[in-house]
Amino acid sequence: MAWLAVLGTTIAAWTLASATLPLPDYFLPPPTAVLAAMTDLIAKGILPAYVAESARRILLAAAFGLLVGVPIGLVLGISRRVADFFYPLLNFFQSVSGIAWLPLMLVWFGFGERTILIAVNYTVLFPVIFNALLGVRSVPRLYVDALRTLGAPRWRIVRDVLLPGALPSIATGMRLGLAYGWRALIAAEMLVGAHGLGFMIFNAQNFHLTARIMLGMGIIGLLWLALDYFLLRPLEESTIARWGLVQR
Amino acid sequence: MASKIALQALSHEYVNPFTRQRVLALDGLSLDVADGEFLTVVGPSGCGKTTLLGILAGLVTPTRGAVLVDGRPVAGPGRDRGVVFQEFAILPWRTVERNIAHGLEIQRVPKAERAATVRRFVELIGLQGFEKKYPHELSGGMRQRVAVARTLAANPEVMLMDEPFASVDAQTRITLQEELNAIARATRKTILFVTHNVEEAVFLGDRCCVLSRRPGRVKALVPVPIPREGRTWKLLASDPTFETARERVLRLVREEVGGEEHRP
Repeated sequence: MAWLAVLGTTIAAWTLASATLPLPDYFLPPPTAVLAAMTDLIAKGILPAYVAESARRILLAAAFGLLVGVPIGLVLGISRRVADFFYPLLNFFQSVSGIAWLPLMLVWFGFGERTILIAVNYTVLFPVIFNALLGVRSVPRLYVDALRTLGAPRWRIVRDVLLPGALPSIATGMRLGLAYGWRALIAAEMLVGAHGLGFMIFNAQNFHLTARIMLGMGIIGLLWLALDYFLLRPLEESTIARWGLVQR
Repeated sequence: MASKIALQALSHEYVNPFTRQRVLALDGLSLDVADGEFLTVVGPSGCGKTTLLGILAGLVTPTRGAVLVDGRPVAGPGRDRGVVFQEFAILPWRTVERNIAHGLEIQRVPKAERAATVRRFVELIGLQGFEKKYPHELSGGMRQRVAVARTLAANPEVMLMDEPFASVDAQTRITLQEELNAIARATRKTILFVTHNVEEAVFLGDRCCVLSRRPGRVKALVPVPIPREGRTWKLLASDPTFETARERVLRLVREEVGGEEHRP
């Protein structure tokens, strides 16, 4: 309820400022103009297409993080030797952000889908790897010892102890990775210009379509909330909260 | 009688990886445990009790000496030796029944047989109705009961227990001690139970092994000639045999702690 009041106040202040301040129309369009831009873009089919495009890309990156990042992180967490070997390399590349790769990717892969996906997947990958690694290492030694004294082979210790024990950290990694990935996606869409919400707001600026920019920004935020609500939270609640590892 | 466990001149030295300082935890410790015996090990803190148990479990490799179980040298952990740890070592992501069944799963016991065994041990530890609960929903005493049941269900030859009741409240501890005595009576397992609590050591043990202060050696072996059937706290409170053994072990431990402030 409290945040509804905040939202209402903000919209009222925005409407008032837009109506009274001596500014050109395109500088601060009123909320009604943003709403009009929305109905217009929905009617033309542009907004649904762009939202679908951006959502598809971030979901692909989420799948990539789960299927590629998590296993790599687990292997690094389990084997000290493999981790020591690859750590400097990983540490170096995680500092070169996905966006810093874009110029080179544009040369190699051109202005298209492939470049965007590579940049976003790359961005998602590192937080997922590092947190999965950390998760495995933070599993209490005691649990591993207990399973060894029950006669468990190594693969079972990995499956029954290290993997579930690392899950809270893996969930954190996915959350961080997707948050960074979502930002990188918007930036990549702006630079590469192959549809999507980033492209929409960047392109709108060329035509002084300020209402469309604001609309895009709002939708970027709302889509993240949806991602959090429908993907990240169920993931956390189905496991971690139920086991009492994280108190909500 | 053939000994189930033979510890032969065990020495163990820890090296602090930062200071390179060496600490001798055990120094030439020899001990035999008979088949079906309940042996308690008591000694001042830091005397190497937990190290001793770790070596027996196969989790720690001794610097010198050997451990034989049924005449075979121990080379790593194995399911012939079950361990109940000091802290709660049951898995938070498994329910009570799945924790108890874990050893059986590892042994690939068929599902129906596993379920029957689990039911039997849930009953033994009195946790009916809690089968589907997760450890965080249980009290400390209940969790340690689950840990004991998990080890028992795996049916090891030897049970190694490292101060398993140290972190539960006094009232629960008394109950758990009586329950463990009953379990030992029923299963006739060889049990090595480490504690720093003299009363607990005398209450549970057929013999009570007193360790010297660090580096740990066997200082004395005190027999407690009381049949297991007669061991409840109510009965022992006025039992002269118990009282004598308790006094003796207490005196031996105090000599090792050595402080005047511990004398009554």
